[in-house]
Amino acid sequence: MILNTVVNRTEVKLDIAPDTRLIDVLRNALALTGTKEGCAEGECGACTVLIDGVAVNACLVLAAQVQGKSVVTVEGLSTAGQPNALQRKFIELGAVQCGYCTPGMLMSATALLACNRKPSRAQIRQVLAGNLCRCTGYAAIVEAVAAAADEQDGQT
Amino acid sequence: MATLLKYVGRSYPAPDALGKISGAVVYGSDLRLPGMLYAQLVLSPHAHATVGPIATTKALSVPGVVGVYSCHNTPRTQYCRYRIVPGQAGCIDDETLFASTARFVGDRVAAVVAASLTAAREAARLIEVIYTELPPVLSAEAALEPGAALVHPGGNLVHEFDHATCDPAALPAGAVTTRTIVRTQMLHHAAIEPHTCLANVDASGKLTIWSPCQSVYGARTVVADLLGLPYNKVRVVKVPTGGSFGGKQEFILEPVTAYLAMQTGRPVCLTLDREQCIRATMVRPEQRSVVRSAAGADGLLLDFEIETLLAAGAYASSSPDYAEAMAHKLTRLYRVRRYRHRGCVAYTTAPVAGGMRGWGAPDIATCAEIHMDQLARQLGIDPFDVRMRNLVHPGDIDPVTGSSVGEARVRECLERGAEAFGWRARVAVPVGLGRIRKAVGLACGAHKNGMLSDAFPESTTMTLKMNEDGSLDLNASIHEVGAGSVAMLRTIIAEELDVPPAMISAREADSETSPYDFGCFGSRMTYVCGASARALAAKLRACLIEAAAELLEVSPKVLEATNSRVQHIGVEDSGLSYPQIVQSSRMRLARDMIVTHTYKGTSNPGSYSVQFAEVEVDVLTGLARVTEVLTAVDIGRAINREMVEGQCRGAIQAGIGSALCEEVAMDGAGRAGTGGFKNYHLVNAADMPPVTVLLIEHDGDDGPYGAKSVGEIATVPTAAAIVNAVNRALGTAMTTLPLTPERIVAALGETVETGERDAP
Repeated sequence: MILNTVVNRTEVKLDIAPDTRLIDVLRNALALTGTKEGCAEGECGACTVLIDGVAVNACLVLAAQVQGKSVVTVEGLSTAGQPNALQRKFIELGAVQCGYCTPGMLMSATALLACNRKPSRAQIRQVLAGNLCRCTGYAAIVEAVAAAADEQDGQT
Repeated sequence: MATLLKYVGRSYPAPDALGKISGAVVYGSDLRLPGMLYAQLVLSPHAHATVGPIATTKALSVPGVVGVYSCHNTPRTQYCRYRIVPGQAGCIDDETLFASTARFVGDRVAAVVAASLTAAREAARLIEVIYTELPPVLSAEAALEPGAALVHPGGNLVHEFDHATCDPAALPAGAVTTRTIVRTQMLHHAAIEPHTCLANVDASGKLTIWSPCQSVYGARTVVADLLGLPYNKVRVVKVPTGGSFGGKQEFILEPVTAYLAMQTGRPVCLTLDREQCIRATMVRPEQRSVVRSAAGADGLLLDFEIETLLAAGAYASSSPDYAEAMAHKLTRLYRVRRYRHRGCVAYTTAPVAGGMRGWGAPDIATCAEIHMDQLARQLGIDPFDVRMRNLVHPGDIDPVTGSSVGEARVRECLERGAEAFGWRARVAVPVGLGRIRKAVGLACGAHKNGMLSDAFPESTTMTLKMNEDGSLDLNASIHEVGAGSVAMLRTIIAEELDVPPAMISAREADSETSPYDFGCFGSRMTYVCGASARALAAKLRACLIEAAAELLEVSPKVLEATNSRVQHIGVEDSGLSYPQIVQSSRMRLARDMIVTHTYKGTSNPGSYSVQFAEVEVDVLTGLARVTEVLTAVDIGRAINREMVEGQCRGAIQAGIGSALCEEVAMDGAGRAGTGGFKNYHLVNAADMPPVTVLLIEHDGDDGPYGAKSVGEIATVPTAAAIVNAVNRALGTAMTTLPLTPERIVAALGETVETGERDAP
């Protein structure tokens, strides 16, 4: 089938098998390997991407389901190679250790901050509950999201 | 600290953090080589079975399939996946590339190699293996019973030992004996990155392996020995690791991937899925320890006796060393009149056991610290007091190893931790009789700093080069697993040479070009490799001063290295900048600013952590929740403060899981009932309690700036602190982990186990 979609603000047209998962199209056909596969069953959240702004596990979605939609991956967060505020806070506050969960964490947090400009720590923890991390104990990640929200709040 | 530290003790992000937040860092499973093939494993569905004929015709007819490999067409050479050093003592060669007898659900029976992952998976599904089932051996106890099925022809007993520090002596009147049996479960390391490996043979016959491993030289030893290749024809390149926690320290995928690349003459990539990672890589072992102590009525420990029975799983790998290591922990923690530890390791038809964050220390601390609470209960004293009466003091000699525990500040951890946590007040609060019971618990733990012992000389070699602009290249066998090794080494070199850390680049291990190092395990990175980096940088500083002295025609004694230059002592902006020295020494002295240093380990003091946990237990559902943790860590010196705290918090996340919910469970047929994160529950962000990290910093040990290990010790007492809190909340004496709601509900119906008081 022909897939017409937008990935990271760029129009994409691909000939794919109808049963191809979105994660495989991103990682293999488009070489966007920032989206990680950790469990293939929607439990770890490492493959989280945004589809029309909604955070989803790319391992549980067929590529065909993004026909005519817009997908954003971790590679789409930076502009002109510059990290955005959320990404900067992840670096500054020590939220990155091995880094394998980081792309998924960033995407879940991005979806949260888009709809809730001032989330509480509890709301952040709840939203990130579907993104597993074995390195950090989550505290630095939660603080990074909160700090990014503060910065975002300060700009408006 | 006598001198003010400029860089050590601050916080630094991982040097590759920018790549990690943008998706640019290329992990093993992101690598693509031209002509690359994909391998897919066929794993045994049976716990124990002989592998008969394998029908491959259908699989081979799948378009894109290049080959199918099994015990029927591959070498039968046996090897040990755990061997780091050639000829390493204690390694048992009992594994083959493909099993002719499947010894656990998940044993490698065959592999398909194909042009695409889809084709490889499809072909793997079409392979038909005729198995003849054999009786499974589901526990170490069952393995050692007469008539048990043999997992390997030589018998199920892998290793046993009996160590005692001295002969038994009579117990004084009023002595109290306590006996506890503690069982800890198989655990999955749960690095979010699944195991992966890529291998290729070039036109010259050189094999290159890209692996997120913890030891490139160990991988080289195992692969080169197995495949009969000269060591300089096997190159192992460490690629970024998406978490390991010990799970990537043994060479599980490297041998088979290398073999497949050699056979096909093409690059071959093998990546496991989560289910395969859980079942077919390695697990923290299932073990049972009987802990018996005799203490005076005042709580002073007299005798401490432990009998450990440990399940190695299907292949011995590290289990003999692991069990022995368990016997080397408690005499670093407590002063005891007599310590005896008997251990027994048995093969089972279960996943292969191996090291996971703490190398036996969490396991034995869980057993001993649950026991210590039972002892305290029996004596009717505060768990704090029974420990404070027995913990080691700085400079004590560990009677098991004969070496000093060093500047052991575990008593300070307990005291200051208890004060910060408010232990005395909180332990006195009645639990109450409501549906939600709240209580606190504590536990202590000891671990080590590197692998130095009478039998093992610690060492590492590193090279440091200064470039013409004053930037530096560190060449060392670094294995960054997400715990901050690179940032730690950069910070130490920056401190020693007084240059900004950003001036230093440090790449990861490559067996072809990096000097030798054993690898990233044994809590040796900061204490041994960090100390090496400091000595290395000091050596380069001396070279810079010597060159500057020659160039300036003054005595080196009047010069000092500071602020990226060598200047006359106390005279700012005098002398020569580092770039000037490097450039001038090359052009005028024909000398390069490059040094190589082999650091030799000098000591192996104890690392310590004391942890305090608060839990809430719902007596109706049996669900226990950790609501607060405080960890006091005898760190010596935090090199990278934020990373140290991250390590502590991550360690507690794993410890909570091991106490309450994580378990690789098997059914009665030996099948792992655990097939993914859907039924292997990690503590998530919503369930993670607030964690307070209290770092005890001091001088006195040989680590860089006094620093000691943290990544492993930080998880050692967690599970016991939580179990002790739950038992206090419920008045129970649960000793089988994890404390699932089912176990808690069952225990609520039982009477509390008590020890016996010896007749006077």
